[in-house]
Amino acid sequence: MPTEMLSEQTLAEHVRVGRSGTEDGLRLVHVSKRFESVQALADLSFAVEPGRMLGFLGPNGAGKTTAMRAVFGLVQIDGGEVLWCGRPVRLQERLRFGYMPEERGLYPRMPVREQLEYFGQLHGLDRAGARAAARRWLERLGLAERSEAKVEELSHGNQQRAQLAAALVHEPKLLVLDEPFAGLDPLAVRTLAEVLRGEAARGAAVVFSSHQLELVEDICEDVVIIDRGRIVATGTVDALRRGSGRRRIELELEDASASLPTIAGVELLERRNGASRLLADRDVDPERVLAEAQRVAGVVAFSYGPPTLAELFVELIES
Amino acid sequence: MSARRAISLVAWREIRERLRSPALLWSTVIMLVIVGASSALPMVLQEETTHRVAVVAPAPRGLDAALQRAAEPFDTKVRLQVVRSATAGRRELDAENVDALLLLGTDRIVFRKSVDTQLAAAADTAVRALRRHLPPAPELATATLEPAAETSEDAEAVVAMLGAALLLGALAIYGQWVLAGVVEEKSNRVVELILSTVRPRHLLVGKVVGIGLLGLTQLALVAGLAAVMVAAGVYDAPSSLGGSVALVVPWFALGFALYAVAYATAGALAAQQQDANSAGQPVTYTLLAAFFAGYAALSADAESAVANLLTVFPLTAPLVLPARSALVGVPLWEHVLATVLVLASIYALVRIAGRVYAQGLLHAGSRLHVRTAWRLTHQRD
Repeated sequence: MPTEMLSEQTLAEHVRVGRSGTEDGLRLVHVSKRFESVQALADLSFAVEPGRMLGFLGPNGAGKTTAMRAVFGLVQIDGGEVLWCGRPVRLQERLRFGYMPEERGLYPRMPVREQLEYFGQLHGLDRAGARAAARRWLERLGLAERSEAKVEELSHGNQQRAQLAAALVHEPKLLVLDEPFAGLDPLAVRTLAEVLRGEAARGAAVVFSSHQLELVEDICEDVVIIDRGRIVATGTVDALRRGSGRRRIELELEDASASLPTIAGVELLERRNGASRLLADRDVDPERVLAEAQRVAGVVAFSYGPPTLAELFVELIES
Repeated sequence: MSARRAISLVAWREIRERLRSPALLWSTVIMLVIVGASSALPMVLQEETTHRVAVVAPAPRGLDAALQRAAEPFDTKVRLQVVRSATAGRRELDAENVDALLLLGTDRIVFRKSVDTQLAAAADTAVRALRRHLPPAPELATATLEPAAETSEDAEAVVAMLGAALLLGALAIYGQWVLAGVVEEKSNRVVELILSTVRPRHLLVGKVVGIGLLGLTQLALVAGLAAVMVAAGVYDAPSSLGGSVALVVPWFALGFALYAVAYATAGALAAQQQDANSAGQPVTYTLLAAFFAGYAALSADAESAVANLLTVFPLTAPLVLPARSALVGVPLWEHVLATVLVLASIYALVRIAGRVYAQGLLHAGSRLHVRTAWRLTHQRD
């Protein structure tokens, strides 16, 4: 199995001291939480490092939202610890965190600018500082012209931006975003991705949950995949992909009607207009697959490499 | 961040949120106009007044005209009725056919229960004019058929009732504001963002303080105007009652703190906006029960042990103390005891409500029972 998939013991140790060997950033250590008959989090441990972006993945109901809420004390955990720079997270630490909850919500009848200033001040900024930060983010997110509009008067997209600004206004050291990309158009996705990259570059630890795995593969250095409250995989995106026991093969034949022979250890995922997508065991020699293909028809294109994050995700969750 | 800063930020936001809508301004203006207009009310009513006076035959010539002249400055009229004898006159008075009986033979004016000073003065002036006597010797002695009632004066009872009703209304209205605000925050989920940086207890207190300050300002304007008008003698009431009217203001603050915290907790337990009213009902019923218990006890006997008890009992004190103070006066030690008990109750309620509040707010989508919320607070703290 992948190098980054560690034993229980070493995982916890790894999480406590982190990749960088320090205790910086956010660490969840052996966190568990039970709701009535459902084990929402089971011995969950992972770390979010400063200056890095972590994609927090898992099928619906895996416990992502519960884990994020636990960081803010909105869920009282049954066991384990939530640490910031090695110390238990309390209200004082949370003032430097930024949060975008799964269920969005701002005061509907409060103008956007006032709202941002309010959240800035709640996070400890003084009035002048909050005002300046609010103005900066309104401009950055293209809301400057609507700054005096009430939130309920804004379009859906602009409400999302206001929500993001509320999480960012106090220059948080940790950003926790629950499904920030859900429901955004491609332009808004690009803007948000740029903003998050900027925040990580500034030195913030960024963690967000998402089902858009291509996007996560694109912008995140690290991922954590959980299922039913347990860690399924954790590590850098590259290492996890390389560590997979499968390889993806894409090939295109000259003759669209020609079909590939069955090869042991190779699974046909998809076939369209002569282009096939295959998943092969890691020890299957790609040369052999190519040779088999060439026997059927001329090969126009052939590619071989580790699976995408999406393929890896399906593989891990289904197993 | 300090508790004080968090509370004041929340309170200030509540105030701004409410000032955004013109409803508050208009309701204040309307209340002030009503209080101001109430000063004109007695005059309007008095214009209609006609006093009926019986006099034993034979009535002296010119008595009717003299009575009308004397009553004119009071904006009243007098209808004179001639009776055959003093006994017949007493019968008429007793049967409420007349308001007073004039006995010129013995220089007396007789009322049923209480002396109408206006009519007595008018009759005195009229008789004096008729007899061409000069002041200061009073021409008529006043008397009543029955001994004067033991119960307090009308004016004091009215002030007590109005004060208590004003308090009840204010507590219920501003309490509902708190409830609606809490439910709104919960139903649009902004509370999750707030509670990630603010302790539930501080959010609760900030909300109550903010809305309470608005209510206090509004009530202070209205009660202040009323107190000034009473003290200035605009009403036919002893000017000392102005102080009792003013007492409504600090007791609003205490009563509001107590009941608003309860309303906020009820709001936190409601699932959504539609449930807000039913969630607040237990608090509203408690408030009404306190009002009626106080009213019943005070109108039965304002000096009774029950009345004394309700004056210091935290749930009833805010409504009963100002009213009882207007009726019969409240000794200083009861003021102090009632204040201490209410403050202690507020403190205890805030501690308890803070925990239930947090559980209720974060328990989205379903209505949460008080007992469940309380149990949840004990799972782990």
